[in-house]
Amino acid sequence: MTSPQELSAQEITILLVEDDPPTLWRLQDALVKAGFDVAAAATLGEARASLASRVPRVLLTDLQLPDGHGVDLIREVRQRHPDTEIMVISALGDEETVISAITVGATGYILKDAFPSDIAATVRDLVAGHSPISASIARFIVRRTQASVEPPRGPEIDTARLTPREIDILWGIAKGFSYAEIATNLGMSRQTVPGHIKSIYRKLEVHTRGEAVFEAVQQGLIKL
Amino acid sequence: MTDGAVKPAATAAPALRGRGTASRLVQYILLQVLIAIVCIVLLRLPLPRPPDQLAVGGFSVADRGESRQVALPDFVPSRLSMSEPAIFTGHFAWSARENGRAWSVYLPRFTNGVVVLVNGVEILDSRRDPAANRADRATPEIGLIPASLLRDGDNEVSVQLFVWGPIPGFLDKVYAGPDESLRSYYEWRTLLFVTLPIMFSAWQGMLAVILFVMWAVRRGEAAYGVLAVAMALGAMQAFLPTAIDQPTFPELSATLLASAPLESACVLAFGILFFTRKWPRLLGPLIFLPGLTMVLIGMFGDPYAVRQSFLVLGIPALAVHLLIMGIIVAWSEMRKQDAPSLLLGCAVTIVLTTLTHDMAQVAGLIPDHRIFYTRISYSAMLVAIGVGLTWRFAQALNRVDGFAAHLAIQLREAEEKLKASFAREQERERAAALARERARLMRDLHDGLGGQLVSIVALSERNTAGAGIGDAARAALKDLRLVIDSMDDIGGDLMLALASWRDRAAAQLRPHEIALDWHAVPPGLPVYPSLRPWHVIQIIRILDEAVTNAVKHASARRIGVSIETVKATSGECGCITVTDDGEGFVPDGTGKPSSRGLRNMKNRAARCGAELELSSGSGGTTVRLQLPRRFPEGDATAS
Repeated sequence: MTSPQELSAQEITILLVEDDPPTLWRLQDALVKAGFDVAAAATLGEARASLASRVPRVLLTDLQLPDGHGVDLIREVRQRHPDTEIMVISALGDEETVISAITVGATGYILKDAFPSDIAATVRDLVAGHSPISASIARFIVRRTQASVEPPRGPEIDTARLTPREIDILWGIAKGFSYAEIATNLGMSRQTVPGHIKSIYRKLEVHTRGEAVFEAVQQGLIKL
Repeated sequence: MTDGAVKPAATAAPALRGRGTASRLVQYILLQVLIAIVCIVLLRLPLPRPPDQLAVGGFSVADRGESRQVALPDFVPSRLSMSEPAIFTGHFAWSARENGRAWSVYLPRFTNGVVVLVNGVEILDSRRDPAANRADRATPEIGLIPASLLRDGDNEVSVQLFVWGPIPGFLDKVYAGPDESLRSYYEWRTLLFVTLPIMFSAWQGMLAVILFVMWAVRRGEAAYGVLAVAMALGAMQAFLPTAIDQPTFPELSATLLASAPLESACVLAFGILFFTRKWPRLLGPLIFLPGLTMVLIGMFGDPYAVRQSFLVLGIPALAVHLLIMGIIVAWSEMRKQDAPSLLLGCAVTIVLTTLTHDMAQVAGLIPDHRIFYTRISYSAMLVAIGVGLTWRFAQALNRVDGFAAHLAIQLREAEEKLKASFAREQERERAAALARERARLMRDLHDGLGGQLVSIVALSERNTAGAGIGDAARAALKDLRLVIDSMDDIGGDLMLALASWRDRAAAQLRPHEIALDWHAVPPGLPVYPSLRPWHVIQIIRILDEAVTNAVKHASARRIGVSIETVKATSGECGCITVTDDGEGFVPDGTGKPSSRGLRNMKNRAARCGAELELSSGSGGTTVRLQLPRRFPEGDATAS
């Protein structure tokens, strides 16, 4: 795997899955204008076909698709192509959508009405190893780490593996502090914050035994 | 190192405790010795006696054919037959001048029965007085001499002493003189040796009743039942007459004689049950053996054997029981250090001392006046038992009170907890309902309205003419997100809502190339338990309005948002300030907001109980929102 910094926009391949034509057109336009190599799909079937022919560097997918749910697509890609960065496309950026995507392997989200420059910047950051996390998603996660918040609502999420430091970082983000402020408060380097956030995303992923076995078999097959 | 330091400390503690017990034991023993000494001193105090010139002198005794001169007090050997009294004959002088004054014969102490004759005429037969027939009660007798019997000059007084052993017969000095001189001595002795024992026996009877009731109500406490039996035995034997010579019911007589060892066995059984809370199944019944043996002897043996058995079995049994009791009580006192143990321990010492004293008297080890104090000293035991029981009762009441108070406190605490938990539950229910509603709304909006608005935005971007439509659709989306976001349970932490707003505002400002300087001064805003979703919407809309004004009308390049807790007149409160570096506007002279947007901001602030300050000039505009200490419950100022 080459370092993300060395990739130019043309080398970054993107698979965009969105069933609403105007939205698909808008997002594709923004990404293509930014110079990315974009493949588009309007259904789960098209997306799978595209994946079979080419594994993208980045997968951007809507969740409600005509022939299935984007969550399944994210899970598949995450298992088969661990190097592919995944983001969910959401109309409202609500935790209902975003968290369920995070638990299967997505790293953050893009708002469907985001400005083209923001969309391109988000993808570039993602490839560069910066996993953005919004205040409302951070808020949702840290509220879940508090035992008093009952009964659990919204999508299931397991926060047990988060370290106290990671929870502190999430609190900082949820309260609107910048990375620099969080780093100062917690006595750490600003550069280490994105790494922690990446780690948070990975820890929130649900790994069932079956998936682990599946992954092992996949890797075993590759080795054979 | 640490191990070495800890170990000596660990072993030192029991050693210290052991030393404490040892010193307590020494103290206890010293106290008992002191009590014994005091007892002996008191026992050796001579009883008051009439003046010696009233004593009848010149006594001779005729006992079973033998005759001799004696000086009273004197002993005669024990015998089997009641028909062979020893006859003591003495003389006293009476003058006719004394005529008109009553004269009496006073016998302070004798065992076992006397018939007194003055000048050959019987004036007194003690055998008819049941109290006088008991060897253990030093009953005195006084007999008024009929005036007609008295002769001027020498008078003869004859005392027939009946002995029904087991101990030798005894006759103390006999006094003859004016009744007025002798009566008070007689009364004093009667009080001490007759009335007082009866009083204590009555007290013992009461104790028996109380203990029976106690045992009847609390069947588990066998100790009280056993003690009740002991008390009943003691009370009974005091009031039943002692049979002399050939009793009508020999079994009854034997039981009476055996009552003392039986009673002491019962008291010991009580001690064992009460203080050790265990009954030794093998050795326990042994303590009743002497008493029961005596009953058997009484039923099948002759009267003499019965009486001998009292000396051989009864007294040693009594002593052994007392000793065991003393040890048990001392052990209990060492362990618990409570009032009943100490009192009973002292009482046991008193009884043991007097018993030893009485036995030493009988054995001739100390001068014998035939005054037996054991039965009287037993009253100390009764007092100790009474006090101990009352103490226990009071303690139990105290514990019950304490327990009740404790229970009341616990009940109150539980009630409060329940109330709090109920309130919490309600709050949780409310939050859950809100969350469910929000999730439902979100799903609906996401699938429907949200997607459609996004499509509008996308379509409007295809041609430049649709720019206005796109902006409107984007604004609608933004507002939709605000509404959904504000419904989230943020636990009164406004910072959480502001942070989400920051993300949205930054996204809104980025295409306009306006920088958003976000400055939250740690620790940010205080937590507001009174904060409700509609407050959040109002506050965020005020901030939105401020930002929108800066973008649309002021052509600002930077917008600063600062969040801090400030010290106001009413205490600490949260404050949000939005500043821009735009052109500003001039508020009209009346101080009213110059546009509908500004008036809206004021209204919204008022509805949340917040204060809005606007200042604008050429350097830009500052909107300062000072939050209340407590957000209003209802939307009172809503129009």
